[in-house]
Amino acid sequence: MKEIVVLSGKGGTGKTSLTAALALVAGQELVVADCDVDAANLHLLLDPAITASADFFSGELATIHSDYCTQCGICVQDCRFDAITFRDSRHQLQELDCEGCGYCARICPMQAITMQTRKTGRVMLSHSRTGCGMVYARMEAGAGNSGKLVARVKQEARQLATATQIERVLIDGAPGLSCPVISSLAGADYVLLVAEPTVSSLHDLRRLYDVIRGFDIPMGAVINKGDLNPQVADELKSFFRDHAIDFLTTIPYDEQISGALSEGKTMAEINPHYYALIGDIWQNLCTTL
Amino acid sequence: MKLLFTAQKPDWDAQIDPRFGRAAYLVLYDEATGDLESIDNTEVKEVEHGAGTATAQRVFAIKPDVLITGNGPGSTAASILNRLPMKIYIGAESRTLREAYRLYQENKLELSDCHG
Repeated sequence: MKEIVVLSGKGGTGKTSLTAALALVAGQELVVADCDVDAANLHLLLDPAITASADFFSGELATIHSDYCTQCGICVQDCRFDAITFRDSRHQLQELDCEGCGYCARICPMQAITMQTRKTGRVMLSHSRTGCGMVYARMEAGAGNSGKLVARVKQEARQLATATQIERVLIDGAPGLSCPVISSLAGADYVLLVAEPTVSSLHDLRRLYDVIRGFDIPMGAVINKGDLNPQVADELKSFFRDHAIDFLTTIPYDEQISGALSEGKTMAEINPHYYALIGDIWQNLCTTL
Repeated sequence: MKLLFTAQKPDWDAQIDPRFGRAAYLVLYDEATGDLESIDNTEVKEVEHGAGTATAQRVFAIKPDVLITGNGPGSTAASILNRLPMKIYIGAESRTLREAYRLYQENKLELSDCHG
């Protein structure tokens, strides 16, 4: 089984748009996963039907046991997130403000505060409208993506692929370079880079390249909105050439694409030309892996 | 030589864990004594962020001569591990520890150049 991770460095270059379009042309030949849960939007294009879901636990939440509380107020004073207040004649925790650091539990003289693992979201197993299995997550307010959650989504996607004898997992990765991105690279077989012809995209791509190189994973790239700036597009292509990154294709900037996306459709559904363009990328990936 | 494997379970016939930071177990094999020691890495596996660096700190405390894993630690974890005179071998994913050790002995594993 092979894992392809779609990354970019700079956000907004078109990872999700491309992932959804690839899912459409690949039909049943893959399992797709959304590992960008801070701005999870793959489901907006793939309209999945949920088949199962499970709670995701991450970090901790304080619980104040009123029976043991002597109202001394030390926790109110010392909580650096101002998550404890005195209301309705007792000390209460504001859940949304609690960061789960555990300091209050340690300093409470009556040991009236305990820490509980915290449910921060749900992981969904689903079936995409394009015919493949899909794994994604929905988070509670205030919760965010983490290396742990990405690892969980990837694990579920691999298990789903194994169970259904599918050989390829396509992962819509997170933007940036931090834990969620590193976590998506661990165990991955190929990285598909999505760049746009802007100075920021090239800059962040260089940094992302250094991160990926540490993992020794082969890379391919697509330039999205490629005709917006031919000069930077050329700089990107030089960068790919100089660093053994397979340059796959350029996708033009086309308002038909943004139009399709706002209707919940992938770019592969606009016309046969785009379907073929995306189809070629998928064929290329299948041949390489 | 002391060899450290990232493993899914703590024994010779377990699969290598392709992940470094969130590896389920760190299994240490001492070639001199033949001893096999396993460290449960679940605590690190469950952290939200910084799993790579946390596992790297554990490896640093163990100071093995060789690390055998899947596609290798990420750059931040690697910068910690690079302070050890330890060699990192990658490409052992989908193998058992036993098979990975044999490949290592036959020089068939790839030496990671993220080291040094």
